[in-house]
Amino acid sequence: MSVTPVLAPRRRRRASDATNWPITALAVFVAAVFMLPALWLFSGSLRPTSEIFGSLYPLSWGVIVPKTVSVDNYTALFAGTFGRAFLVSLTVCLLTVAIGLVVCVTAAYALAVLEFPGRGAAFAFVVISFMVPFEAIAIPLSQLFNSWGLTNTLMGLVLPGIGNGLAIFNLRQFFRSVPASYREAAKVDGASEPRVLFGMYVPLSGPAIVNSALLIFLGQWSSYLWPLITVSDPKLQVAPIALAKTFTEHFADYGQNFAGAVALSVVPAVLMLVLQRTFGALGISSGEK
Amino acid sequence: MRRTPLVLGALVVSATVALTGCSKGGSDGAAGGTDWTIPEEDPTATIQVLGILDPVKEHMQEVLDAFKKDHPTITVEYEYVPFDDLNSVLDARMANKDGNPDVFWADQPRTAALATRGYSADITKQFEPYFGAWDPAPKESSTFDGKLYGVPIANSSQLLYYNKDLLDAAGVAYPSADPENRSTFEDLLPNIQKVVDAGAENGFVFGQLDRYYQLEPLSVGLGGSAGATGDGNLTPDITSDAWVKALEFYGKLAADGLMPRGITADQTDAAFLAGDTAYQIQGPWLLPNLATSDINWGVAAHPQFADGEAVTPTGSWSLALSPFSDQQQAAAIFMKWMSVDGGGQYAVVRPDPELPASPEGKKVYFERDMFQSEEGKKAAAIIDYETSKTAVPRLGTVGYVEFEEIIGRAYSDVRNGADAKGALEAASAELETAWAAYK
Amino acid sequence: MSTSTRAGRPVLAGPRAPRAGAGPRARWSPRRLKEAAWAAAFLAPAVVTIAATRIAPSVDAFVDSLHRGFPGGLRVPVFDSLGQYQALLSTDAFRETVARTVVFNVIINPLQVALALLVAVLMTRRIALRGVWRMLLFVPATIPLVGSSIVWGIALQPRGPINAIISTLGGDPQPFFTSPDQAMAAIILVATWVGVGYWMIFLISGLEAIPHEYYEAAKLDRAGPVRTFLSVTLPLLKRPLLFVLVADTVANFVLFIPVQVLTNGGPQNSTTMQMFNAYRTSFTYGQKNLGAAEVTILTLIMLVFVVVQFWLLREERPARRRR
Repeated sequence: MSVTPVLAPRRRRRASDATNWPITALAVFVAAVFMLPALWLFSGSLRPTSEIFGSLYPLSWGVIVPKTVSVDNYTALFAGTFGRAFLVSLTVCLLTVAIGLVVCVTAAYALAVLEFPGRGAAFAFVVISFMVPFEAIAIPLSQLFNSWGLTNTLMGLVLPGIGNGLAIFNLRQFFRSVPASYREAAKVDGASEPRVLFGMYVPLSGPAIVNSALLIFLGQWSSYLWPLITVSDPKLQVAPIALAKTFTEHFADYGQNFAGAVALSVVPAVLMLVLQRTFGALGISSGEK
Repeated sequence: MRRTPLVLGALVVSATVALTGCSKGGSDGAAGGTDWTIPEEDPTATIQVLGILDPVKEHMQEVLDAFKKDHPTITVEYEYVPFDDLNSVLDARMANKDGNPDVFWADQPRTAALATRGYSADITKQFEPYFGAWDPAPKESSTFDGKLYGVPIANSSQLLYYNKDLLDAAGVAYPSADPENRSTFEDLLPNIQKVVDAGAENGFVFGQLDRYYQLEPLSVGLGGSAGATGDGNLTPDITSDAWVKALEFYGKLAADGLMPRGITADQTDAAFLAGDTAYQIQGPWLLPNLATSDINWGVAAHPQFADGEAVTPTGSWSLALSPFSDQQQAAAIFMKWMSVDGGGQYAVVRPDPELPASPEGKKVYFERDMFQSEEGKKAAAIIDYETSKTAVPRLGTVGYVEFEEIIGRAYSDVRNGADAKGALEAASAELETAWAAYK
Repeated sequence: MSTSTRAGRPVLAGPRAPRAGAGPRARWSPRRLKEAAWAAAFLAPAVVTIAATRIAPSVDAFVDSLHRGFPGGLRVPVFDSLGQYQALLSTDAFRETVARTVVFNVIINPLQVALALLVAVLMTRRIALRGVWRMLLFVPATIPLVGSSIVWGIALQPRGPINAIISTLGGDPQPFFTSPDQAMAAIILVATWVGVGYWMIFLISGLEAIPHEYYEAAKLDRAGPVRTFLSVTLPLLKRPLLFVLVADTVANFVLFIPVQVLTNGGPQNSTTMQMFNAYRTSFTYGQKNLGAAEVTILTLIMLVFVVVQFWLLREERPARRRR
């Protein structure tokens, strides 16, 4: 017997659904202002380091527009260790999201929906877990992982990113706004808890799951201190560390650094766009406004 | 049911503490002690080396390949970490107390600090036969309490670079390249003003802005101490007249617009290579970059104060042996090869120029390409003079880490406009607190 | 608003409704046991991972803070119970750091959340290419924080581009990071630029989850946009808003990279906040035990903020059916 989630019916398009062009202009303006520093970063990545600094004064379009556009920074960067590190990062992060989402979704469901003694304490446990700054526990954790033989392993990089208290919290908030009647109806029909969770709650939680996936992904993607101290094998090192190596003791290659920063930002940005497009429409009542 | 959450919580916490309890500890203590010698025959071993040089970009790989040729039975696993992260990585690795790394890059002024923390092993006995191979200053810097804790692989000095085009545009004479008759800061000041008035973006820049390495000569040149006195150099001495005068000079340069605010030490070379800066004090490592740029550059001797002494920065890296190393003898062979053999193979073999810590190495160094141009020859003569006559090592103290950080912040505050005396007094108080742990 | 069923029979919500099937042992009915078992199964992977990778080392760190040790952490530390804490709390410098941290958080958290909400509202209007503008606003959060800090450091230089723009518009160039009076505000600017797009996406989901029936009802009531926002939108945004506020607070309490890259805690300690200070103590000076004490105090203060936020945005409990 299948459980059919009750989705709000999509509204018919009305005349008042037409695009609001003045507000669009405002949105474009706000987005442009926000993007200005990022644009400078991008244009810096297309120039050699000396031109980045040589073009700063006096104020002119030359600050943003490069004199000569070249992808040398990118080719040099990816030809070095950054290329491999980029792939390692991708692998680690996708693995973390895949495992982490399952772990966090199930935990959030238990905390939001199921009734059991100690629920409050378990939730407090989850919240407190993300309040301790990672730098404070990095070295004790690395000693732990070292004794478990997890240094220089892929799982050693993935594991700390799986139990993401913030993602659990986010999902729990969302699950709590799903009307309890849906679950009750499903239970009456004889559905088991996993069935309710994966067959009903998950399809209704597109946006929340997308956001939590981004949360887990970005947390792992930007992770620096942890890979630094648990991985000594250069073949397993991750992208942010490779990026830091554009600054050596005697020369800071800003051009390559900016190129790496752009490369690293493209992945989560595009991921966000794609995930929102694909899954963002699934929801309790995601009508157009 | 209020007790259940507490019971659950206690169970979880005790389980995790039990987990951590039985996994901490690892291998305990030093692997070999100090009573061993460097063998005549190479053992077959693998050693881990932790360094801050990029194998490809900074050509460390060539060095490792050369070692492999000379010592085929010893395999070196070299780990490269970003320069800013060396200390965090070292902390984490040392906490594991295993043999990774066996050898690591150690900043010479940190010798005492590393030794007292138990990070580096006493290698006096093993390297005593080779003490004569090194220049006295780098060797002293690698020694603490009469014992050797590191082998120097490099040294450093500083030159005054200038942009000839910017100076010509202001009608200003070039500073003197003769170390015996060097320019004084007092002479330079009006010239810097002229250059700035003629449109140079940055008049005068210390390459390593706000860093003790770079700015120590200002205080010591005026007669001040290296920064501390007393037993073990643990009594701050940065509020003397010389120190205050030196920092007032530094702050005034910025306040008068002759030295920029807001730019960091990482950005100074890029600015000079972009043609933004008229005068810059920097190390010899800028020479290869200048050769490939289109800057019309010249080189002069590090300036001094008119009523002071000529003092220049010095010191660089040593290699230290981890007390937890499980391959001490192979590690020592590597260290000897890098710092002693043939003048120190590290500096001799490495394509990127590095000022060696030995007289024999320096001979080879001055034959490098970058010293063959007209300005290059002047640079070579200046470096030779400075390393022999005017180099002053940094403060030797167990509390060096705290000192370098705190004084760095004082320099930065003064450059941004803080009163020199006030900043130094605050720094002195902070040092007293920080050094209490060592007394 | 929602009715619940128990054992197939509808039960009215109300404190004195007859409880069908309720008896003194109802608490441990097979149904409840089964639910608790599922809860345990669902929570187990997360709890075990979190316990091992977060809580265990946190306990370690706390135990470290009860000892006094030599920098570097290799020498065996001496038990000192609350000695480190006493020392810290009696130091002027530390107390000032705490004060600065609190001020920073009191300013930046409401600021960032309010801006994120404004931007989220903007991005849920009927605009063309909505997904693209949302992504562009999200981009600052995807750039490595060191990179963003470097960019802003150069932009806000005394003779940098931003001051050049200010000059051409007729204003005076500002010292920004070089002045003890402006450095903190400049850090807030950088952190806000990075964070607003990130928190925006959570609030967008929250906004889009509000059924339009509510808006239509408000329109029928002739409520204007502000009144609609305050009495319809905000109350229904409580859950995502709580998440964003708490998560943002934690993120800002543990923020230190912009400080490290841009000001190193200066000028004159004006940007030295607890996390930066703790990082410096632990990693630059190598004093692990003292650093652990500093972090514990930081976590406790954070906890106070978070508890207050949970209380402010607490959910209205539906009237309990049991007991």
